[in-house]
Amino acid sequence: MLPIDAAAHSSRWRRRHPVDKAVLGFGLTVLAISLPPWPGAALVLVTALAVLLGPAGVPGRGLWRAYRVPLGFCVTGALPLLVQVGGPGGFLTAAEGGPVRAGELLLRTSAATLGVLLFAFTTPMSDLLPRLVRAGVPAPVVDVALVTYRMSFLLLDSVRRVRQAQAARLGHTGRAAAWRSLGGLGATAFVRAFDRAARLQSGLAGRGYDGTLRVLVPEARVSVRFTAASVALLAALAGLTLVLEGPLS
Amino acid sequence: MVPVSQETGQGASSIHEVLERVCRVMHIAEGFLPPAHAIAWGAASAPFVVHGVRSLTREVREHPESTLLLGASGAFTFVLSALKLPSVTGSCSHPTGTGLGAILFRPPVMAVLGTITLLFQALLLAHGGLTTLGANVFSMAVVGPWAGYGAYRLLRHYDVPLMVTVFCGAFVADLSTYCVTSVQLALAFPDPGSGFLGALGKFGSVFAVTQIPLAVSEGLLTVIVMRLLVQSSKGELTRLGVLPAKSGTTGAKEQAVAR
Repeated sequence: MLPIDAAAHSSRWRRRHPVDKAVLGFGLTVLAISLPPWPGAALVLVTALAVLLGPAGVPGRGLWRAYRVPLGFCVTGALPLLVQVGGPGGFLTAAEGGPVRAGELLLRTSAATLGVLLFAFTTPMSDLLPRLVRAGVPAPVVDVALVTYRMSFLLLDSVRRVRQAQAARLGHTGRAAAWRSLGGLGATAFVRAFDRAARLQSGLAGRGYDGTLRVLVPEARVSVRFTAASVALLAALAGLTLVLEGPLS
Repeated sequence: MVPVSQETGQGASSIHEVLERVCRVMHIAEGFLPPAHAIAWGAASAPFVVHGVRSLTREVREHPESTLLLGASGAFTFVLSALKLPSVTGSCSHPTGTGLGAILFRPPVMAVLGTITLLFQALLLAHGGLTTLGANVFSMAVVGPWAGYGAYRLLRHYDVPLMVTVFCGAFVADLSTYCVTSVQLALAFPDPGSGFLGALGKFGSVFAVTQIPLAVSEGLLTVIVMRLLVQSSKGELTRLGVLPAKSGTTGAKEQAVAR
């Protein structure tokens, strides 16, 4: 299981309905990209961090490990904003207001990412996927997503073992060997995926498979109190941003 | 991130460590695009995804067993993007997998499988994002597969050898994915001096140009994988329509499965 999913399974908010957490998490994300970066995204960032590490009880170390991945892209993507092409100063010069734009972008992206992480760190994928049918996603697509989700871990484990076996047979000692091993790895993944699907099909056919994958979903009800508190928090953040925008900008 | 020895391949001791390597595949991060752009790219991707969902739903209703094969195809696409790719320049990155996926499973199905994969990457790996899902789907699950598949089919039409067409398909799919991402970023953040074209040059030089060697690498990897598959999995390739079916041995029903 992946670290974010593992953390979600042992989260304090594990038993809450996904809608509760979606309102809060995705609400924060929407606010982060809709409000002015300063002070709006900054407020969202602080609030999301406080909720993640406080009431949601997400471990700080795990959060940082997940958070640093998108941050790398954001920093790389913000770098071009620091320079401008053409103009009186030369072909490539420092962009006027570039650092501010880059800083605002980093602020907005960081805050928006934390909102999604709040949802991801508290909602296991196995709780979310079966409920997507109620949200209007066609059942066959949800079934395919469920099989993909469950088979990915098995396939990744197979790939890891094949890679270890290749390494033990000096399969990564030279460039040619590395390419050969990598090709073998990709082909093996394909063969194993289809072999596993065929065996699953045989097993399900023996159990009267009619095209629908039935899975148990933990019972949970949408909490009106939690959702109302989330909406109030989001409204307070938006209001505070509007109040502070003038004096702080 | 755990360092991996090039000589022994040791270090990849858990699924997480294998998956952390996915991070160098380029997806636009959460919140990176302004709201209007995020909505516009979502709207641009929607028809392709809806078309893919319709074909997938029809396929599953006609052949319920396809659910498992399509799920396996999705898992294969997810895992393929986690493989570590040695670049011809000596650096390392990861294949997009869009070219091979489009050749094996066709672009409409790839639009759905790509969307599912991107959703998993956003929620399980914090890679990409939900507000940028439309933009990422457009580059990685729509343009990449269609461009790669178009190049593949065009060359197949002129009887170019299979492996050459596979290389070109994977190369075009990879490069077009990154070019579209550069366009998306340039549209969102035009250069103050030279506008969209200047920004395209900047983002292109940061992302797309560095991807040319990686696109070559992905093309080579795809050829190696396909050569092995032709030797070991002729049945599956015939069923997927990559290899011609022998008359009388493979029916239309079998060909339809997992397309």
